[in-house]
Amino acid sequence: MSGGVDSSVAAGLLIEQGHDVVGATLKLWGGTSDSGCCSVADVDDARRVAQMLGIDHHVFNYTEEFERHVVEPFVRAHIAGQSPNPCIECNRHIKFDLLFERAERLGFDAVATGHHAKVLSRDGAHFLVRGADDQKDQSYVLGYLREDQLAVLMLPIGAMNKREVRVHAERLGLRTWDKPDSQDVCFIEASKGREVFLGQRIVFTKATIVDRVTGEVVGETDAAELMTVGQRRGVLPARDGEKRYVAKVDIKERRIEVGRLDDVLINVIHLDPSSLNFAHEQLKDGSVVLAQWSAHGRVQPATLRHEDAWWLELHAPARPVAPGQSVVFYRVDEPAIVEGAAIVAAP
Amino acid sequence: MSARYYFDHAASAPRRDEVAAAMEPWMHGVVGNPSGSHRAAREARRAVEEARDEVAQFVGAKPGGVIFTAGGTESCHLAVAGVTHHHRRNHDKSAIVISRIEHSAVTDAAELMARDFANVSVRYVDVDAEGVLDLESLRQNLDTDVAIVSVMSANNETGVCQPLDGVSALAHAVPDGVVTHTDAVAAAPWLYLPLLTSTIDMVSICAHKIGGPVNSGALILRSGIALDAMVPGGGQERGYRGGTVDVAACVGLAAAVRITAEELAEVNDRVIDYQHRLCASLSFLPGCEITAPAASKVPGTVHVTFEGIASDELLFLLDQEGVCASAASSCSSGAGVSSHVLAAMGIAPERAKGSLRLSMGPETTAEEVDALIGILSSVVYRLTTGA
Repeated sequence: MSGGVDSSVAAGLLIEQGHDVVGATLKLWGGTSDSGCCSVADVDDARRVAQMLGIDHHVFNYTEEFERHVVEPFVRAHIAGQSPNPCIECNRHIKFDLLFERAERLGFDAVATGHHAKVLSRDGAHFLVRGADDQKDQSYVLGYLREDQLAVLMLPIGAMNKREVRVHAERLGLRTWDKPDSQDVCFIEASKGREVFLGQRIVFTKATIVDRVTGEVVGETDAAELMTVGQRRGVLPARDGEKRYVAKVDIKERRIEVGRLDDVLINVIHLDPSSLNFAHEQLKDGSVVLAQWSAHGRVQPATLRHEDAWWLELHAPARPVAPGQSVVFYRVDEPAIVEGAAIVAAP
Repeated sequence: MSARYYFDHAASAPRRDEVAAAMEPWMHGVVGNPSGSHRAAREARRAVEEARDEVAQFVGAKPGGVIFTAGGTESCHLAVAGVTHHHRRNHDKSAIVISRIEHSAVTDAAELMARDFANVSVRYVDVDAEGVLDLESLRQNLDTDVAIVSVMSANNETGVCQPLDGVSALAHAVPDGVVTHTDAVAAAPWLYLPLLTSTIDMVSICAHKIGGPVNSGALILRSGIALDAMVPGGGQERGYRGGTVDVAACVGLAAAVRITAEELAEVNDRVIDYQHRLCASLSFLPGCEITAPAASKVPGTVHVTFEGIASDELLFLLDQEGVCASAASSCSSGAGVSSHVLAAMGIAPERAKGSLRLSMGPETTAEEVDALIGILSSVVYRLTTGA
């Protein structure tokens, strides 16, 4: 329970269904925060919601694990010129790993969250399915769940849209019913941003910005680590006035390659083999999937290839994808079902 | 849930019936403002001054030295910040010397002063592996720049008693002397403060650890201590703490110290047996280690660490079985945080993650201790074997 409306309603609905429910809030970030999901005010909200629902509430401290599995890798990835998604890492290593193990040790049959996604059980197998609300669907950030985790996961609000969730919240008398959604990274203060957060932990690298086709130097940056492959904002248009996209961030060579859209389009996404995860069976070389590589991005058909390495062949060229991002594979025949996920590797 | 076993006295002790009875007349109807001059005010004033006498006696000080506050945190803050403020206005440099195991009431007051004033610094004194103040480390940290040295009487997490006589001897050995303060909040239910703190200049106590109300405490000054008020306001409490004096809170504190002093010997005798019994039983549990096994501790506290068990899980299952206990260190969100006390003792972070504090009081019974041992054994067994 984050103190937000989704997890509060999820808890309320489970109680109405007759389950024996205990609320848990994870204390993840030990530093200052003005956003996200783990401030003292949010814990207080979660506790108050639990009191109103008449259930026990516990706060579990995972700050050390969060630092180790989410914050440190986030910083390290930036040093390597990558752009990770910390929410996915948190789900993977903390919420759906450590918390699930703990729940089992403490004697719980299931873990429920307020994510906008669904679990479909069919012929003894469990599948992660997109949430009913297109705008809120969070199946992407849950893309790493496996069968054993899905088997004990309950997502009570996944079949609702946000408006329905708020109606339930109001009906249940929850004080968070009109609380705005949190969308920021919980350990980065929205008022200060990624630059301030990373600036306290690493020394930024100055780099030259080079047009990848002409080799011409078109600018420079004081912080190559803050440049993200695929980004357009903040990159100066060249003399022709046409916008440029970041195609490559090379911290070692202190070099950012940019180019016109046509020059930077990609047909292949390389995957980090150690990050590959399949909900059930491993997909074979040549499998066609629908790939999605940002939280609310569009899906694109692609063929999963596996020889020595793993990569995706895109069926249509796309804007470049930052190494460190996750790609989630959805089924072609049932496009709402998640089949697996992997982290994008540098080419 | 059927039974409830309360083993978290060190967090807050059960309210004594005698305390509630003493406070009751001051909880409704006309309660005069003790600063006033009419009969209702005089009645209130009299109750406050009688309470002051009892609190002074509890610590072995003069009644005029008792400043009523809203609890231990405020008392400690007033002592540390008040003395340092006064010192820094009269000196070029002011150092605050505190142990590494102080409660955040003291640590944060000191850090706040150092943050806000360039001429103020904080010096930390080490403890040994048993959590006892290292007097040699203290000696090295003392010089004529020191405004105040603050060392708690007994630690709130481990229950380990501190060598206050050594602290005052070293403080007095500094030319012109150094003001000493002790946070006696955790010691007050167990130790005879007139003797223990006789050489210490300032003593902080609070009511709710000895069966009194929360938001009630006192800072007791022995004599001739110069400190600034934190909240001057209307000049109450001899100008050290402004604001209308809470008669019920003062009366409640007085009732709590009276009954604590009366029962001190009997409760100590009884609970020290429970402490031995608990330690002996827990030491047989897998991965369990008694914290500070050789140190002198208050009888009510048993602190242990478990290898490979997370406190959060242990406390959850204990709670399910009706046992109220704690990991001893927590933040305002309610989550356990890693303990600076255990870190100062050199206890590895992995071990500290499995810490458990069981704290007892006058109400604790032998039956409850037996029940606790049984529940704890089964919970630890379950967490270590997955059964």
